[in-house]
This record gives sequence, C-alpha cells and structure tokens, in this order.
Amino acid sequence: MRYMPSLTIEATPYGFGGLRSALAAVRLGADGAMAGWPVLLGRAVFYLLLMIVLTALWDKVIAERLPGTLVAALPAGGLALYIGVTEWIGLSVPAIHLRLEDDIRSGAVETHLLRPKAYLVQRVAESLGAMLVRLAVTGAAALAMLAASGRAWPPLPALAALLVLGPLGATIGLLLFTIAGLSAFWVRRTVPAFLILQKLLFLLGGLFAPVTLYPAWLTRLAEASPFAAHMFWPASLTVDSTAAEMADALLAQLVWIALLCGLAALIWRAGLRKVLRGDL
Amino acid sequence: MSSAVITVQDLRKSYRYASRRGGLLGAIGGAFSPDYKLIDAVDGISFEIAAGERVAIIGPNGAGKSTTLKMLSGILEPTSGDARVFGLVPWRERKALAYRIGVVFGQRSQLWGELPARDSFALLASIYDQRGAAFEQRLKDLIERFELAPLMGQPVQRLSLGQRMRCEITASLLHAPSLLFLDEPTIGLDITAKAAIRDFITENAREEGQTVVLTSHDTRDIELVCERVIVINQGRIVVDQPTDQLRRRFLAHKLVTLHAPSRRVEIALPGVMRRASEPHLDVFEIDTRKVRVEQVIATALEGGGIEDITIEDPPMEEVVREIYAVAHD
Repeated sequence: MRYMPSLTIEATPYGFGGLRSALAAVRLGADGAMAGWPVLLGRAVFYLLLMIVLTALWDKVIAERLPGTLVAALPAGGLALYIGVTEWIGLSVPAIHLRLEDDIRSGAVETHLLRPKAYLVQRVAESLGAMLVRLAVTGAAALAMLAASGRAWPPLPALAALLVLGPLGATIGLLLFTIAGLSAFWVRRTVPAFLILQKLLFLLGGLFAPVTLYPAWLTRLAEASPFAAHMFWPASLTVDSTAAEMADALLAQLVWIALLCGLAALIWRAGLRKVLRGDL
Repeated sequence: MSSAVITVQDLRKSYRYASRRGGLLGAIGGAFSPDYKLIDAVDGISFEIAAGERVAIIGPNGAGKSTTLKMLSGILEPTSGDARVFGLVPWRERKALAYRIGVVFGQRSQLWGELPARDSFALLASIYDQRGAAFEQRLKDLIERFELAPLMGQPVQRLSLGQRMRCEITASLLHAPSLLFLDEPTIGLDITAKAAIRDFITENAREEGQTVVLTSHDTRDIELVCERVIVINQGRIVVDQPTDQLRRRFLAHKLVTLHAPSRRVEIALPGVMRRASEPHLDVFEIDTRKVRVEQVIATALEGGGIEDITIEDPPMEEVVREIYAVAHD
C-alpha cells in the first residue's frame, strides 16, 4: 500500500492552519484539565474554603468599625465580591511557567520545534484551554457559594461584563506567567522570576487589597500596570462600575494582551536563537 | 547521486562552554571574563542519502550522531558547512521541512502523557494541516498495522514502553513524511517489542518508499532495518558502507554469558573464544560466521549445571573501536 501525499500540506502550510491547530490545542488543554477532574474539584473546594475564611475576616473588620483603619474606604458590602473575583481569576491561571521550564530544561522543546506550528502559540493555547475549564468550574463554585451566602448579587450588566473581563484578566495572568517561564532559557529555573511576579500580582494586582486604598502614587502605578488589568479591574468593576469604566477596562486589557504577546514573542525569539546555536 | 534526499558537505558543529576555575575568586573572575573552550561535536562530515535508502548512523556516545540528526532536522545550526534536505537548508527552513520529515526520539515523547493517544493524534493532525478522508484512511491504516485500536483510549502514561513507542512512531507518520529520522527508537524495549518496531519501520519504509535515517546502539536495529551504515567517531565519518559488508566484517559476533555455579564451562568449538571467567560465570565471544549460537549453547548444556544463559551483541563501543582500528590500519 502506498499512501497518497496529502495535498493539504502544501496548500495551507501557514495562515488558517495556524489558527486551526491553536484551537485544537485549546481543546486538548481543556480535555487535559477535565481528565484531571479531582484536581479541578480540589481547586473548587480550596476556593470555597479560602472565601469562607477571607469573607469572615473582612466581615469582622467592617463590623467592628475599627477606628483608624481603612474600613471607611472599603466598598460597602462589596468586598466579599471583590475578593471572590480576584481569587477566581488568580486560581484559574495554569502554571504554564513550570511547563515551559520543564520543556526548556529537559530539551523537550527541541521535539516541539520539529513541528510546523509555533511552539509557544501551541503551549499558550493549551494552557488557555485548561484555564477556561478552571474558570468555568471555579466560577460555578463561586456562584453557588454566593447564592448560598444570601449576599447581594452584583448588577446583571456587571456580571455580564465579568464574563468578558474575567477571562481576559486571566489571559493577562497567563501571559505574565509565560514570560516568567521563558526566563528558563537563561536562568534554567523560573522560581526567581515567578516569585517576583507573584509579589507584584499580590500588591499591584489588588490581591492584597483594592489598589485604590494605596497611597495615590502607588494607586496610579498599579492602575497603569498589567497586574491591575489582570485582577483589580475585573474585580472592582464587578462591585461598582459604569459602562464607560467597563469599556476603558476592556480596552486596557486588550492593549496589555497585545503588548504582553509581543514581549513574549520577542523573548521567545531570543531563546530560540540559543536553542538553534546549541547554547541551551 | 541525482536522487539524493539528503546532501551533507563538510558539516561542522562546535559547542562552546565556559571552563570553570577553582575557588571563590576563580568563580567570580569566571563570571566576568569566562574562559571559553570549544568542542568539535561534528568535524567536517560529508555524505549523501538517496530517496528510499535506509541508513544507520552509528557511533559511541558523544560521537556526533544526535548532533548530526539535529542539524539535518533543522533544530541546530552548524558552525560551518552545508546540508540540504529535499533541497531545503534545514536550520533556515525548519517549518517548511517539518511537513516532509517525521522524527522519533526514543528518549523523548511527543505525545501528551495524561491524555489518550487519539487526542494527541488529533492535535498533531491539525498541527500538520491533516484532515479529510485521505487522512482518516491513513490513520485507520496505521492503527490497524500497529495494532493500536485497544490502546487508543488509554492515557499514554499508562502504556508500556513498547506500546508507547508504537504510538510515537505512528504519531511521526501521521502526515505521511517522506523521510523518517529515528534516534534510538528501540531503547529500553524488550526483545518482542524491539522486533515489532523494527518490522514496522522496515515494512512501512518499503511500502511507502520512505527514506529512513536511524541512530542506535543496538546492532540488530542496524542489521535488520538498514541497508547502509555510516560510522561516526569523534565527529568524523570512519566508515560508510553497505550493511552486508559491515555485517560480514564486524557484526558477526555474539557474547554468550553462562552462569554455572558448579563448574567452569569449557567449549572447544571453532569460532568460540573465552572473553572472561569468574566464579560461577563464563563469557564467550562467538564468531557466527564459523559457528551457530545454538550449537554453542547445546555444547555448553551437555556438561549440565548451567542455571542461566544470556546472549548479547558486543557493545557498540567495541564494534566501533574495531571498525575504527581496521579503517586506520
């Protein structure tokens, strides 16, 4: 039996073929995440426990009306919601930096370079698939908890906007992790880059507290950073926002996604040069 | 050779590494002014491989086999020299070349461990722009030929090494490549799995007119799959000749190890030479051109008291050393 050469190979080596394979990678990533359903379930349970502890803590702070604290500056009744959204986004971003580190350190990246589609796009697409499944599962847990808690729901437009701003925020996180992962080309281990990134996310991303509570200069810095576009904007706008603010946040997210994609591509290209030189 | 699929001319690859200095001061000094040294992994090799040829590139560890394969598949740039694969410069036209070659690294997986093989195949099909009835038929044929049907739904990480390798090779053939690079495809497999892999590679290459370039430490891979052997040592080609010729001169030896706790085994047959003797253990080298292995075993068993028998090929390092010595006589 002699196979006929595939005509599609020469017809579409690039162009839509790249999009099709990226979508297939998204699907594979989603399948992989669903195959590891105990991990998904564990993450949802962890989210619920975390929210029980954090909301209890902040409810207590607000109830005590402690003099000299930031209580007055906190959004009334919305802090639980704010925390819920930041944790939802934060817990949904896959650890792509570890995957990249593993591929680069083990040399497995070479195997992927033998393929006609861009390695980095494929890996990011895979993680995007896993991220969407995580967002869905943890999001379902969050909504169930909100319903059970009897707390006020966000306005419907804000909830609808969150369905866009949340995944885009998570995508920004994924790209930041990707950049941390690519540092493995030079430093072998991504832990140093990841730790710095994690602290920046904690502080400037608004995980520690809403960035509007910081000194004015730090608030401005945080709001202009990709870290705020990752978590702060989607979370704070869910609590209280106008359509114009949502549109601004969406624009900021799209700009950051474009910039981070460009930066990741530049770093990848420099790393690829090292691989091709045999300098890994 | 007009129908050459691969043309290599004076290809060289040197790796640079920073030599470490001793002591704290040396380490600090080395960070600011590293003392670079060069290693010539491939040192000016030239050869051609014609369409449909099955060629083994062999040599001891560090000889430059994998470096050569990496350059030919486009994932490593040479220091100097030229190579063309299907008329393409591999390291400059890597993506275009990728559609025409299949690569299997025996020690690296291209499949997604936590998912069933069918999911990996589906993604690879989209990566190589494979779709439609022709692709479906090819996938069906490969699954049938490699008897993968019962394995398709199992996560790859739960498959045995032999089963996984069958999936790996299938994955590398999904886009019907005309050239297959195999780097140690049978490493770690048991005898049955090795035989299955060799049969498949050979049969598939014959039927599809596929060119195969294989590296292996197992002389049986070379004998049974390849019709030509290129021996590399210290980055240079030592021998380039048909497997038949090489077999007659260098691959006609077997090592037979006999475990006999109660006696020292004596075998007085032509072509049998004692290689080592320890308490309870005797190692013989057999020249299979002069005597058959089963005859040697039968003779050894006549005296009784033998508890275990191992038959092996001589280590590749020995074979290459012998080839190298003869080539330089």
